[in-house]
This record gives sequence, structure tokens and C-alpha cells, in this order.
Amino acid sequence: MTSTLHRETLENAVFRAGYGALLVFMLLPLLVVVVTSFSASRRVAFPPDSYSFVWYVDFFDSTQWLDAFTNSIVIGVGTALLATVLGVLGAFGQELETDSVVGSVVAPVVLIPLLIPPVILGITLLLYFNEVGLRGSYASIILAHTLWATPLVYFVMRSVFSRFDWQQLDAAHDLGAGPVRSFVYVVLPNVKHGIFVGGLLAFIISLQEFVMALFLSTPGTETIPVLAWTEIRQALDPMVSVVSTFLILISIGAIIVAAIATNLEWVSKQLS
Amino acid sequence: MSETTSLPQIPTSLASLRESVAGQSSSTRALLLMAPLIAFELLVFVIPFLILLRISFAEPSSDLIYEPGTWSVEAYAGVIDNILAFELFWSIVSYSFLLGIVVTVVTVALALFYAYAIWRATGLIKTLLLFSVVLPLLTTLVIRTYAFSPLLSPTGTFNDLLLSVGLLSDPVQFVPSTVGAVIGQVYIVLPYAVLAIYSVLATMDWHVVEAARDLGASRPRSVVEVVVPQAMPGIIVAAVISFAWSVGAYAAPGLLSENITFALYVEELLLGDLRYPTAAALSVIMLVLMLVTISIMFAVLNRFGGDFDLA
Amino acid sequence: MSEITLHDLEKQYGETTAVEEVSVEIEDGELLCLLGPSGSGKSTTLRMIAGLETPTSGEISINGDDVTDDPAYERTTSTVFQDWALFPHKTVRENVEFGLKMRGVPADERAQRAESMLERVQMDGYGDDDPTNLSGGQKQRVALARSLAVNPDVLLLDEPLSNLDKRLREDMQIELREIHEDLDETFVHVTHDQDEAFTLADRIGIMDQGELIQVGDPDEVYENPKNQFIESFLGDTNFVNSRVTRATADAVYVDTDLGTELVLPTDAEPAVDEGTALTLSLRPEILSIDQPSADGGTAAADASEQLATDGSSRTAVTGTVENVVYRGSTVRYSADIDGTSMFAERTDASTGALSADDQIRLEWNGADVLAFREDGTRVSL
Repeated sequence: MTSTLHRETLENAVFRAGYGALLVFMLLPLLVVVVTSFSASRRVAFPPDSYSFVWYVDFFDSTQWLDAFTNSIVIGVGTALLATVLGVLGAFGQELETDSVVGSVVAPVVLIPLLIPPVILGITLLLYFNEVGLRGSYASIILAHTLWATPLVYFVMRSVFSRFDWQQLDAAHDLGAGPVRSFVYVVLPNVKHGIFVGGLLAFIISLQEFVMALFLSTPGTETIPVLAWTEIRQALDPMVSVVSTFLILISIGAIIVAAIATNLEWVSKQLS
Repeated sequence: MSETTSLPQIPTSLASLRESVAGQSSSTRALLLMAPLIAFELLVFVIPFLILLRISFAEPSSDLIYEPGTWSVEAYAGVIDNILAFELFWSIVSYSFLLGIVVTVVTVALALFYAYAIWRATGLIKTLLLFSVVLPLLTTLVIRTYAFSPLLSPTGTFNDLLLSVGLLSDPVQFVPSTVGAVIGQVYIVLPYAVLAIYSVLATMDWHVVEAARDLGASRPRSVVEVVVPQAMPGIIVAAVISFAWSVGAYAAPGLLSENITFALYVEELLLGDLRYPTAAALSVIMLVLMLVTISIMFAVLNRFGGDFDLA
Repeated sequence: MSEITLHDLEKQYGETTAVEEVSVEIEDGELLCLLGPSGSGKSTTLRMIAGLETPTSGEISINGDDVTDDPAYERTTSTVFQDWALFPHKTVRENVEFGLKMRGVPADERAQRAESMLERVQMDGYGDDDPTNLSGGQKQRVALARSLAVNPDVLLLDEPLSNLDKRLREDMQIELREIHEDLDETFVHVTHDQDEAFTLADRIGIMDQGELIQVGDPDEVYENPKNQFIESFLGDTNFVNSRVTRATADAVYVDTDLGTELVLPTDAEPAVDEGTALTLSLRPEILSIDQPSADGGTAAADASEQLATDGSSRTAVTGTVENVVYRGSTVRYSADIDGTSMFAERTDASTGALSADDQIRLEWNGADVLAFREDGTRVSL
């Protein structure tokens, strides 16, 4: 009796220590980034010897970083819009005709780009965009990122649509709403949270993707991760930490916005 | 009640037109809705890959990146000969696969444990654990890898800590080294793997584990006998993702290791040496090898899907 | 003029036939119940009338117009769905107004009409509520109001009461009936519950395996079922195996598992030969229960003596009570009659209560017994 109790206590301790260590492993690198951004010296050390805001001041003085920031946002928004339209329409079409042959081909084709190393995708698209003359445009990077973002929007929407009560669409038709109006008045309001989350995911994918962007970008279209990468390879200074901190803050903001968007109704129900 | 009868008679041609539009079955509408997606995948994915395939069969050229309009297997022959002679390409391909396999094994083991912990946790701890998975997922992998430099370098935090406790007498060079690359790459793929496994566990009924314990299985045993087989779909997805992304890893080995992986070398071939057909051929060969490996992984893991027999 | 005509309606999903050659005329202002077990094709038939499914072949006309190829949103029908399909993102009032909005009715008129519809279904005051917060019965009322608001030529009800509990369901049946009488509109109501069909229907159409087997007034289908399926589906009954021993001009004599020969009086000589296997149906309500006389109750009298001159025949069997089940207003006795189990019901349990192992005597008029052939078809006696 005592021995089993002892064993269970030990198991519990090991279990807790295990996931505690993993929790530290997951969050420590991000903590390092944020803390080193406040470093006063040029050397990136954790913890820093002294703290200051000098690198933040430098960031807002650097046109290079601010341009990269703009590029990232433009490409991110473009990707989010394109991937959302493609993914939502595709998933909706699939839902209308669940057993079509085309549908069963579309799903794997949409998924495959996610499993291909981004370097290969980058090379392939680089060769292709050279041929068709898209090299160096925002469009080239947006299209590449959409290749990765669309499967996520598509599968988010498939799961959202599978939870949608399709009898409502019947009810709308029955009450006189044609295909377009029933989609706008009945389907859309029910899945708008899913669309928003899908679009947000697409935006974040684009914001953080760098291998394809590295191949496809030109000095005029460099995104933040691409610039960070080239900077890191040249010299390791806390400027990258500052940029990273901003990106982390954007991500946390996105999580909060998504959580609020999906749970707002739930929250309001709890309050009333 | 019967207002419909008073509807004006529509001309027959118009009526038949309207009928044909209304008669447009849901399958036509479904196809129209899927058309943009299909067009996109065709234009940005399928056609580019056909071009890559075509270039891999072109003759190398001395002044151009490749000789358009020519057919040759020279690029493939070069890559394959080099691999079979255990020369540069062999070391690059084998190192990439080794990295992929080691990262996959470590990642799946850690992810299974962490996903289980999230599944069992409640309240604030569960939120914190999930947050710790989602946040790195949303951070660019450049930053995720970059953060390991100050932690793992010979003068970094980790060495300082071990030296001051007295566990080490001399600093260890974690970075740059293969160990550093593995740590960095595991950190990159772990969040995806955890979520893949957790999403399956979340649908599982805890009572089945309790039933196993009630029937005499110890706690670790009950996990192996009941949780792992049921989580197998998630484990397969986690393993495939980890492997696919680690074999083609670029950032972690580029920043944290001095060994050259396939991804880094292809970049060199393409942007440095301008050997397009060779780069294309190497990519095609890598892709084929990866798909074969992934298929084998699927087959092997699926066999374990039913039951584990450790006896 | 008939309101709805279905002509040879068929629906196939791949290899499976969901609805087969359904033809029926539904009168203006009639309440027709389509009754059948799940999978019998009744809902598919309703959805084809609504325009939510396209028939594989056949025609549907409403008010004399062929609407077979018209989509749902162009038809003058309106459906109350099984799960009610209320729009969760709209308020109760917005739900009720939806159909009017689609028809371009001005806002103030919409609001007015929605309010009067909500009043009609006793949901006034709930207009601003979120439909997901309503109870099942309330959702059902809102769905009804939403469908009635568009003033449909035909109201289609797809098992809207099946998700309600028993008492609520019975209340709603009465209410639906009243609304129907009020509006004098054509209703087609789909249900698998025979009590519901009997409560509501002007006529009942019974479906099985995609076919519409019989359409008729409630008492007609109950008393005059076309086949054995309908007889068993419309209520509990005792089926007894038998074989024809001889058939005369005024009666059929059969040998049964009850250890006695029975006489089935007939008007005209029926088309059954000696040796034909028949399944007899003895509904509990035709059986009267007695305790056998003190001498222990010998077997029934000789069969030939049962036939009375007026064409009726009294038959009685005796056996042992196996168990007694109190079902509230009635008591059900199961009895072992010479190795065959039979049951009968009595409304008043207090008079001469029987308990297990008591002797029991069941008596009936042979003219009330229905007989079916092996293929399920009815023998007209």
C-alpha cells in the first residue's frame, strides 16, 4: 500500500517535471528574444548585461526595417484575402457536392504543397515566375504564400461547414431565398467566425514564412523574416530581437482577437 | 391562397431558359465554386512543377542557366553517380535524411508526452500549456532559431549555467553543431506535432484509460496500451509533418550547424553556381526519396495502429 | 380542383430507390399525413414537394401548374423542418420575417405580419429572443410561425413534433389541428407516429420501402388495411398462424396454432383454397376477457357450432395468464393459449382481477378477424 502510494507520487512528480521542462523549452526562446531586445550593448547575450531602449529607437529610425514591415503587411493581407476567397469557395463547393470526383482530387492537391519542403517550392516558383515575368513583384510572394495558406483556410472551413446545420440552407430556399441570397443571409453569418479565423491564420502564415520569400523577394519586396535572416547571418545584434518582439506581440494580439471573435457569443451568453 | 395561378404566362423560350438555370444541379454550382481554387492550384502548383521537371531534363549550358529545348538525363546521371560514389551529394542527402529521422523521433516522443499532459491538464495550466504551443507556432521560424544562438553558444546562457553549477569544466559547443540544429529543428516542428496529436486525444474518452487501469494496467502501461493506439492517426500526421519539414530544413541547420543540408546546397547550386538542371534534378530526386520514406512510415505506423504487444 | 398532384414520383440515390411510383392527389384544404417507419421514403416525398429534392422521374403539380423542375425558392410551399432549422444568428422576429424579406415585403408590414404570426402560435413577446435559448416546444412554434408568415399554398411538416416529449407533442397535435381548421390550407404532415397521424389527419397515406401503399380516411386504413404491414404498423395486434381446412359460400374454416378450429364468416366466397396458409390478426380490442367457468373451462365448442345465422360467429379459447402489465388506463394480459402467446387488454382492472397462472378465457366475433396471405396481401372476407 505504502509502496504503490510512493510510486504514484513519484510518477506524478516525474510527469510534472517533464511537462514543466517542455513548457520552459517552448517559451524560453521567445523570452530570450523579448529580453535581449532591451539590451544596451551590441552583443546578444541572455540575460543582457544592461538594459535600454536604444535598439527600439534605432528601429524606428531605420527605413530598411520599416519598409520590410510594410512589405510584410502588404503581402500578408494579400495572402489572407486570396487564400480566404479560394479556401472558402472551394470548401463550400465541396460541401454542396460531397461525393464528386473533382472534390476528391481537390483535397489532396490542396494539401500537398504543405508537405513539400519550402526550398523546393521556392526554387520551383522562382523558375516559374521568371518564365512568366512575375519576378520581383508582390504578387509572386503572395501567390507562393497562398499556396501554403490555402490548405489551412480550406481545412478550417471544411470543419466549420461540417458543423453547420445544412437544414438552414433548405429552410432559406424554402422561404424563397435563391442560391446567392441564401448564402449571404444564412450561411455567411453562421460561418463568419470560421472565415475570420481562417483569414487570420493565412495572414500569420504569410507574416512568418521566410524560405519561399527569401527566394522570391528582391530588395524592394523583402519581408521582415527575410531581412532578419540576412541581418542575422551578417551580424548578430539586438535589432533582430526588437523586430521579433514586435512580431511576437502581433501574434499574441492575433490569438486574443481570434479568441474574442470565436467566443464573443459564448461570452455574451455567459454574461446575460 | 392560390395567387400563383394568376402569374402571367412566361414565354416558353424564357421559361425553358429559366428552367435550365434552375435545373443547374448542385454539382454544376459546386464545380463553379471550386473553379478558382482548381485554377489556382493548376497555375501556381501543378504547372510550375511540370516546368521544374522539364528543366531537370534540360542540358546544362555554359553561358545560360540551361539550354532550352534540349532533352538530356545528364543532370540526373550526375547526381545519381555522385550519390552512388558516396561523394558530396551522398553526404548531403544522407545528412538531410539523418537530421530528418532524428528530429522526427525526438519530436514525436516529446509531442506525445506534451499532448497527453495538455489533455490531462485542466483550467489555467491547460490554457498555459496550449498557449505555449500556439505562440511559437505563430512566430517566424527565423526568430525561433535565432533565439537559440545566445542560449546555446559556447559563451551562452546554457554553458554559463552548467559551468557555474560545476557540471562542466569546459564549455561545450552546442552551436554550431548538429546537436544545435536538431534542437532548433525540434523546436520548429514540435508545436505542429503537439497539436496534431492533441486534436486526436481531445476526442478521446478518458474512461477508456480508467477502464484499462481498473483491469490492472499500470499508469504508463495504460498509456501505451490504450492512449497510443487510439492517438495513432495524430501520431502519423505528426511524424509525416516532422519528417517532411526536417529533411528539407533550411533555417535551423543554416544558422545552428555547419553541415550542409540538401536545402542549403540547392540554394547554392541555384543562386551561386547557376546549375539549374542539376538543382532541379536534385530536387526531384529528393522529393521522390521523401515520398517513398513517408509512404513507408505510413505503412509501418498503420500496422502498429491496432495493438501494441510489448510482451 | 386538387391542390397537389404527384404522378409516378420516383427518387433514386445511386442504386437505392428511396421513393417508388408514388401517385396521389391531395385536395385543397386537406390535411394529409404521410405515415411510415423511418426509411420508408415519406420525408423524401415531402422534400420533393418542397423542391428541396429533384425527383428522378415523375411529376409534381401544385394548383395545376407543373412545378417538378422549380427550385424550392420559387415554390408556394413552406416547410417546417424536423429540427426546425431556425437561423441561430437571427432573433425570433427576424426568423419569422425572413420569408417576407425575401419576397420584398416592406419592413413595417413585415414586422406587423411577424407579430401577428407570433401571436397566433402564442409566442408574442418573444420577438427579440435568441432562438437558440428557446425550449423545443417554443422553437417548434417559431418554425411554424416562420412558415405560416409567407402565406404558403401548402404547408409541409417534416416530423416537426418528433423531438418533443410526449405531453408537449400531444398538445401541439391539437394546436396544429386547430390552426389547420382556422386557416383551411393544405397541410402535408410527415410522421412515423400512428397516434399522431390519427389525431391530425383528414386522410392518411401509409408508406413502406418507398411505396405509398394505401391512402384513406383514418378509420378506413385502420379497419380496412390493405396488407399485413399496415395492420402491424397501425397498432399492436395478435398474429396467429393458420391453414384453410375448407371454404364454403358463407365461411372459411381454418386450423390454428390455438388448438382450435376457427370460423371466418364471409359475404362472398373468398379466393382461398384448402391448405392455404393465412395469418390472422386478432386486435386486442376485439377480444373480451373472462374467467372460465368453474368446471375449469373445457376447450372451445365445436367449430361448426360457432357460426350463427346472422353471419357473426363467437369463438372462445382458454389458457393461462403469463403476466399482467399495468399500463395506466389499461391492463394488458398476456396469456398462453395452447402454446401460443396472445395478449388482450381491459380498461377496468378492478373487476375480476386476474393474476399470473390464473385461467383466462378470450372471446371474439369471427367477423372482426382479418386474414392475410403469406405475401402480406389481405384476404377479403
